[in-house]
Amino acid sequence: MWVPIVFLIIGLTLGLLTNFTIPPAYTNYLSIAVLAALDTLFGGIRAQLEGKFVHTIFISGFFFNVTLAAFLAFLGVQLGIDLYLAAIFAFGVRLFQNIAIIRRLFFDNLQKNKKKARIENLSNKKDN
Amino acid sequence: MQKISRKALLSVSFICFLIGFMIAVLFEAESSQKTQDTRDLWEIRSAIAEQQQQQQHLYDEITIHEELLSNYEEKSEHIQIETLNDSIKLLEEQAGLIEKKGNGVIITFQPIFLEDQPYQIYPKINADLLHIVVNQLNQFGATDIVIDQERLINISPIRNVNDKVYVNNSPISDLPLEIKVLTNNVDSLINHMEVSEVIDYLAMENIKLTFEKASDLYLQPYEGTIDMSGIEISEQAEEDVN
Repeated sequence: MWVPIVFLIIGLTLGLLTNFTIPPAYTNYLSIAVLAALDTLFGGIRAQLEGKFVHTIFISGFFFNVTLAAFLAFLGVQLGIDLYLAAIFAFGVRLFQNIAIIRRLFFDNLQKNKKKARIENLSNKKDN
Repeated sequence: MQKISRKALLSVSFICFLIGFMIAVLFEAESSQKTQDTRDLWEIRSAIAEQQQQQQHLYDEITIHEELLSNYEEKSEHIQIETLNDSIKLLEEQAGLIEKKGNGVIITFQPIFLEDQPYQIYPKINADLLHIVVNQLNQFGATDIVIDQERLINISPIRNVNDKVYVNNSPISDLPLEIKVLTNNVDSLINHMEVSEVIDYLAMENIKLTFEKASDLYLQPYEGTIDMSGIEISEQAEEDVN
């Protein structure tokens, strides 16, 4: 559980220490890419909790979403339409949905575990 | 719930790493964006001109010091000593340790008496007002200043002590008070001072200023000793000298 958090911190420190900067014109693309990445991450966590996690889908989803979001933003700039808003909207809604489902699944699991423990306790008492 | 496989954990960690990196880059980009130059062409041009003037000034100063240095290095011992004496004299003059004569202005602080007020307190100068006056004088090209027999040097304090104004740690007299100022351009200094808002500040305290041009004005030297106990030669400066 803690490995991803460690990696997140490593990424943050590496990014801050290397002073790697991008031109201000491209910050839009990067912010959308971050949003897409977060969406994929929470989607992955949800799939894991539901027991449907597939490794290839997770990795390909990440790259596909990031590329698509950046492409949408690029297209929007070319056409003069704020198309990146569409990407932000879609990812934002999905992010909230995923987090809501993760929360529900987490509490469901918690309750199940409690029930299991109670039943085990009762059966232990009966055996005695 | 599935047991988390090693592969899945690694891929999630990798994604987390990428997210962290992207957020950091985004953060750097956002924070570097804030210092935006909003000056127009004219402002930039005048800024450049100002910088060039400053650069020229620095070059001139470098030339003077280089000449001095070459005098030390190349010439005979006698000339070296002469140069040293010259430098000491120059430094003493800059520090205000020797007397000075020249064209200047005598500024007198005089009380204003209003006829419509039956009871009026005798006006008093305070340190804050004196500070403002001195700052304005320096701004308008004063080279040396004497306040009531006290020569102002770079570290001269002007303070309020028990309702009295102290300059160089000795009290100055009450109004009328005299300030002697040496300057390279007497007329310009008087003109600037006459329209300066410090006149209004002084008028609020019932004090008026009178200006009098004076040629061959005598300014007495600073009489105290300059405390050098807190001053040390930095290693960098020492290396430069060597």
